[in-house]
Amino acid sequence: MSTRRRRSIFEIISEYYDSLEEMAEQIEETLFERPSWNQKACTIEPLRDVTVTPKEVIVTVDLPYTEENTVQVKPLSKNTIEISAEMRRKIRFDDFGITHYKGEFQKFHCQTRIPVPVFMEKMEVQFKRGILEIHLPRKHEHTISME
Amino acid sequence: MSDEVKIIEKKEIPSGAIMLYGFPDVGLVGVIAASHLISEFKGLGEVAYMDSKLLPPLIVLHEGLPHSPIRIFGNHNVLLAVSETAISADTIYPIMNALIDWGKSKDVKVMISLSGIPIQDRQNVQELKVFAAASTPEMLKMVKEKGTEIMNEGYMVGPQAIMLQQCAKTGLPAITLLAQCFPNYPDPEAAAEVLKELEKITALKVDVSKLLDKGEEIRLRARDVMRRTQQEMSKMKKTQEYDIPLYVS
Repeated sequence: MSTRRRRSIFEIISEYYDSLEEMAEQIEETLFERPSWNQKACTIEPLRDVTVTPKEVIVTVDLPYTEENTVQVKPLSKNTIEISAEMRRKIRFDDFGITHYKGEFQKFHCQTRIPVPVFMEKMEVQFKRGILEIHLPRKHEHTISME
Repeated sequence: MSDEVKIIEKKEIPSGAIMLYGFPDVGLVGVIAASHLISEFKGLGEVAYMDSKLLPPLIVLHEGLPHSPIRIFGNHNVLLAVSETAISADTIYPIMNALIDWGKSKDVKVMISLSGIPIQDRQNVQELKVFAAASTPEMLKMVKEKGTEIMNEGYMVGPQAIMLQQCAKTGLPAITLLAQCFPNYPDPEAAAEVLKELEKITALKVDVSKLLDKGEEIRLRARDVMRRTQQEMSKMKKTQEYDIPLYVS
């Protein structure tokens, strides 16, 4: 008779995290598989990075050719922000030697999902040497007290 | 050289040259530095390219003509291996092994990979440090004597790690130069720092002023290569470079 080994809670959690990680990677790859520019809207999608710390979520965005006073960050919902910024000059495909596409871009635009609950209204924004840094304090909705 | 990766020579290759590597990695430091070397060094033309079914099914078009994404540029004293596409984790070993074997067959003096080491809060760091690691104690001593800081302990992940490991295995002199950089954004300033350190070690004079002047243009242009590189870096667990190693003595 075969016996089934009971899995420990740590194994179950570890497997759950592995499957979540795999799923996140697949979603990320699907999202990546599109051009980083939108010809119709004349926008370029900037590179960005989201870091979650115990106290806050920090979103950084690489915005070369951008003036600070044109940068806009808007909360779209409780977990999504929209970032846009004007470039100092128009960028054409020709500038990069590309002749098989036509179009020009003067704006960065993207939407970013915030992975944990945050206080959108307490958002702080800094712009330093072409890098936008957005700080969002975390909202700890559920805490488990240890007895 | 393995059958699955071939290096096709287009011109006569000098022997006894310095072989440099500029591969996509954090901050695209190596690729940006390599691209600047190609534009600065007169006569650094394509001398060989990689042909392999392990590479993604792509070609790079330059002035309407197809090129391999991995090419070797060279002049009388420098060979420079550059990749214009991110290399996937499962092909790094055969690709690097083929390049190292090829370099060895050309009696290269030393192999030097140009790369980066990611730092948090990079946007607030003005003066970037460059660290080095070497394949042999003699090379490490030489690098130290030139005044380059050594990366004493830690993890290294990616093409430069394999280069160092393979060269250490076969006793080939090799150095990896790592400039502090953004993990996920193209970093021309870090590329300039790594080139300054290269000059200290090899006496290859490189003017980095144009690289710094064109910084914003490079950051814009390199976005797509950076995105693809990010995907590959996450697959090869690049963040392990932040880890604190456990040495058991």
